[in-house]
Amino acid sequence: MFKFDEICELIRLVGSCQVASFELEHGGSRLRIEGVARSAPAPANPVTPAPGAATVAVAPLVETPPRPPGPTPPVDGVEAVDAEAGTHRVVCPIVGTFYRAPNPDADPYVKVGEYVEKGQVLCIVEAMKLMNEIESDVSGTVVRVIPQNAQPVEFGAPLFIIRPG
Amino acid sequence: MFRKVLIANRGEIAVRVIAACRELGLETVAVHSDVDRECLHVALADQAVCIGGPYSRASYLNMNAVLAAAEITGADAIHPGYGFLAENARFAEICEECGITFVGPPPAAIRLMGDKAAARRSVAAAGVPILPGTTHPLQGRSEALEVASEIGYPVILKAAAGGGGRGMRLAFDHHELRQAFDTARNEAEKAFGDPSVYLERYLERPRHIEFQVLADSHGRVIHLGERECSIQRRHQKLLEEAPSVALNADLRVEMGRAAVAAARAARYVNAGTVEFLLGPDGAFYFMEMNTRIQVEHPVTEMVTGVDLVKEQLLIAAGRKMSVPSRRANQPNGHAIELRINAEDPETFAPSPGRVTHLVLPGGPGVRMDTHLYAGYTVPPYYDSLLAKLVVHGSDREEAIVRARRALDMLRVEGVKTSIRLHRRILEDRDFVTGDFSTAFMDRFLSKS
Repeated sequence: MFKFDEICELIRLVGSCQVASFELEHGGSRLRIEGVARSAPAPANPVTPAPGAATVAVAPLVETPPRPPGPTPPVDGVEAVDAEAGTHRVVCPIVGTFYRAPNPDADPYVKVGEYVEKGQVLCIVEAMKLMNEIESDVSGTVVRVIPQNAQPVEFGAPLFIIRPG
Repeated sequence: MFRKVLIANRGEIAVRVIAACRELGLETVAVHSDVDRECLHVALADQAVCIGGPYSRASYLNMNAVLAAAEITGADAIHPGYGFLAENARFAEICEECGITFVGPPPAAIRLMGDKAAARRSVAAAGVPILPGTTHPLQGRSEALEVASEIGYPVILKAAAGGGGRGMRLAFDHHELRQAFDTARNEAEKAFGDPSVYLERYLERPRHIEFQVLADSHGRVIHLGERECSIQRRHQKLLEEAPSVALNADLRVEMGRAAVAAARAARYVNAGTVEFLLGPDGAFYFMEMNTRIQVEHPVTEMVTGVDLVKEQLLIAAGRKMSVPSRRANQPNGHAIELRINAEDPETFAPSPGRVTHLVLPGGPGVRMDTHLYAGYTVPPYYDSLLAKLVVHGSDREEAIVRARRALDMLRVEGVKTSIRLHRRILEDRDFVTGDFSTAFMDRFLSKS
């Protein structure tokens, strides 16, 4: 049996290297991951966002194909991915609102270029009036902060890109 | 009226609720686990939020995550669908405390009907017939034996916190009851975290007949007739129809009155279902009340013309129900629902996987409630219901013929489904003549 974490890691890898599909057999278990070529759901009626529906932008997971499936990413997008090769993503463990600082007047917990220790608080995600401190799961340098301050974030949304070291 | 409804569910029921919201001009928010990103409800809703990992406990059962999703999207109502948080009184309470409308009954009604022994007490006091037995949790084995001697065997032990067929034990004599008592308590403890069990007379070969009720906050409580749900395997319904061949107009009035009385006793508001066991002699007994929209609600919609989910939303908003008072409970024609599950038709083992090819039937009197599309991958984490094929005909005969031809037009490839099983049930002589009870599937499966 594959462990859930292992499967997640494999999905991440397959998603990052433009492979159409990937199969692995190990210890009697078989795993198949379909990459960029997979089809997005095609509802009978195209989705038309209601007026005002766009007021809340929920940060999507990076490996999710855009909805509806759009053209291939622009060139600078590809470069950005390359520049972040070998980096680690800190993802959001809960749904809530992302805050970079403990309160509106305070400095952000971390800034781009700063070195963080594993276990160091990176941000707060507020859910149901509870302030959840999100810690870094690696030591390294902050390359990028993904959500805007006070932006809603969903489970699994990438929050920080960190270059381990 | 609220403006934006979060649907705390997945699969066909999430799609069904989105349809009702759209018709009422309400915005919708889908929530989903990270493996459900490609689900149809996610694509159809105005907004979608990923709330957790694949296991229900981390996502669809995770109250904080669901409420946080409502918070960040500004949803002011939550429709729980069925299963997951639908009959969680605490969740309904927290919604209330957060100023979010819970599209369902008041927490007190959920709690009362969730305690099966208390529910028996409550409806019995309102004059609704119940099977002989205890209305309190049993104190010990000796009390069980004593009560059983009084009411006569066979008897059934049921979990007070239970429902849906889990934690039940049947006994035909003292010896069996003595053995069953501890097992039933252990099972109840394991399944529901509460070892309380009660006992009632076991009715052999009953029909499972349930009544749809609707109640609004203006004091109106009505029923919309019955659903015949006797075709079930291990307490899981496979096929439902309305009306039941076992009811005449007089019995319908009598049972409907009992269903309304049960709802009134619980101070019920919103859509609910009162389940009865009906004996071969025409005597009926309250079994339990389900405080949610049911999987099989479309058969009632087909014969009454009432959109139950829209009524749920209107009632939750404090409006009066829109059902006209005249003859809403007189069925028009006949409807049959077939549950198409992703499971092996012989072994009933779940069959997750990718749906490679899909053709849905249409034509007169055919309705498909489904979240399927070609290319969808059925995940292994949730229940196996893929689609509900619902047909309506001018009478039962036409409905059966229509169900057969619709099934023949339905193609689902890539996963195993119960299509073939349904096709055989629809040919069965006892089914066609309407001569069956909850024992039907045992007989049907042993025969083949």
